[in-house]
Amino acid sequence: MKDNIYQPINGEIVDIIEESSTIKSFVIKPEEDFAFKTGQFVELTLPGKGEAPFTPSSSPAETDQIEITIMKAGRVTGLLHECKKGQKVGIRGPYGSCYPVDDFVGKQVYIIGGGVGLAPIRSLFLTLVDRIKDFKSVTCRYGAKTPEDFIFKKTLFGEWQKIKGVEIKLSVDQAGNGWDGNVGVVTTILNPSDVDIKNAVAVVCGPPIMMKYVTLKLLDFKFPPENIYLSMEKNMSCGVGKCGHCMLGKYYVCKDGPVFTYEQIKGYPKIWE
Amino acid sequence: MEKVFTSKLESFLNAVAEKFQLYVPAKTDDHYTYNVYDPSGKKPVELNDIRTCTPIKEFLFPIRELAATYPKEFKPDDIKPFAVFGLKECDLRSIEILDKVFAEEDFEDQLYLNRRNNMFIISSDCNEPGESCFCNIFGGKGFAESGFDLNVSKIKDGFIIEAGSSKGNSFLMEHSDIFGEIPDALLSERDANRAAVQARLEEKNDHLKFDVTIKQIVEDGCDSDVFDREAKNCVECQACTRVCPTCHCFYLYDMQKEDYFAKMKMWDSCMRLSYATVAGGENPNKVLGDRMKHRLLHKFVHFHDRYGLDMCVGCGRCVDADAGGMDIRDILKKLKD
Repeated sequence: MKDNIYQPINGEIVDIIEESSTIKSFVIKPEEDFAFKTGQFVELTLPGKGEAPFTPSSSPAETDQIEITIMKAGRVTGLLHECKKGQKVGIRGPYGSCYPVDDFVGKQVYIIGGGVGLAPIRSLFLTLVDRIKDFKSVTCRYGAKTPEDFIFKKTLFGEWQKIKGVEIKLSVDQAGNGWDGNVGVVTTILNPSDVDIKNAVAVVCGPPIMMKYVTLKLLDFKFPPENIYLSMEKNMSCGVGKCGHCMLGKYYVCKDGPVFTYEQIKGYPKIWE
Repeated sequence: MEKVFTSKLESFLNAVAEKFQLYVPAKTDDHYTYNVYDPSGKKPVELNDIRTCTPIKEFLFPIRELAATYPKEFKPDDIKPFAVFGLKECDLRSIEILDKVFAEEDFEDQLYLNRRNNMFIISSDCNEPGESCFCNIFGGKGFAESGFDLNVSKIKDGFIIEAGSSKGNSFLMEHSDIFGEIPDALLSERDANRAAVQARLEEKNDHLKFDVTIKQIVEDGCDSDVFDREAKNCVECQACTRVCPTCHCFYLYDMQKEDYFAKMKMWDSCMRLSYATVAGGENPNKVLGDRMKHRLLHKFVHFHDRYGLDMCVGCGRCVDADAGGMDIRDILKKLKD
């Protein structure tokens, strides 16, 4: 970490992977040592243009480069989508809380992701898979608007499905040609019989509306609020709990989050907005 | 700690100005702001009876500053030691609040600390609290007992200067030739002045003394329609947050300079519509009343939960500055009712 908390370290985009029509993954090589824990986020600067928060989608075990998966959603993400290989960027962080993977040992990890929310989840997934025997099982339920909108398609439809101890089910809001899986929002593939609630943790990441309904469903299943981990999205700017933009009740999402249990934040209004 | 007497401010201020870049209060219409001290004597310095209308945070956390550069890392300029004369007790408490945020150990803001560590604080007793002053509701008394390097108390025939830090103490000892000793009678006069001001504050703000904490009032009032009703008078000028000495929201933005890229840090306001908007467009505080509620919750509930004190010093600057006539004191009273 730099002495000046606002100073990024320099990095370069070394590869760009088109994940869907609106989502790209950027492989970034930092010029200095950079390590993060899964679930933490970084502030990515496009020099002279702007800065935005993203949770890396790569495994923290990969230390020479990080991957950041970005949906074109606003001004900075739009400009990032225009970037080519070789573009210089700045990286500040890592910031905030991580998924407490060690606390998941011996448990079933029930991962529910939607849309670009699969990005932080992929980082967690790769971390879990590295030591898959430590967990009872990893059960994934992912949703996307259409089959084309799934990110990490190659591994998601391929090798991840074959990992022993991992079970993946997918759903799309609208089916396309050749889709023979479930059609419906991701909550339609959540089933209490899939999960041993007494010995499980749930991890949810996706658009706010999806996180809301998934959390409500998990509560219906009698999932304890302290075992539901949410990756919250707010307008994180400084990353160090000062600028105020990402306040959620008494918490700064950038510093106390972005990973919260539902128990921590359930008392505050408008957590999904 | 040393206590000394001087009959004239000028020799004292000249001595300060030899050592520091000195800022002094200057009256404009009914208000005080800060100017650079002019040692020529052409603009005699008047000790401000009340806090300035501008917030002290300007000295520690400027409206806009360079925060980082790219690709080459910049080293923040060394801040030359500077002194500010005429800060009031409420100002000192606002610095204590800013310290909680910017000097927090896990992420120290070096831009802030560079200024903070080089600031020589010369506070002074309040002589004429204004209509909007309600510092006593937050434990204020109108005079400071800590948090300053030197404190100046005006008495009939001159000024009592008291040290509050080793830096202040050394200053008084180094300049003993320009000061005199204080007869006990003058200290009694100072204490009587202080007691009178404190009594005036207590009397004028009696209507704001509640039987529960302000934190409790805001927490309990959260679901009331007071915020939406009050918002009808708000013209969204954001002056309340700009002049507030404890409001410290800022935003970072990037820009291209001639041969480098800069990241700037600039004051922001939680009363601004898109303040909390995320890239996808969601915004928990689209409604003005909700932004007002967020502001009060931050000040009196969330900041309290985090740091154990209110994020308000009762200086009343927001009351004086607000273009729509919003008054935080009225809002608190309505929430209580």
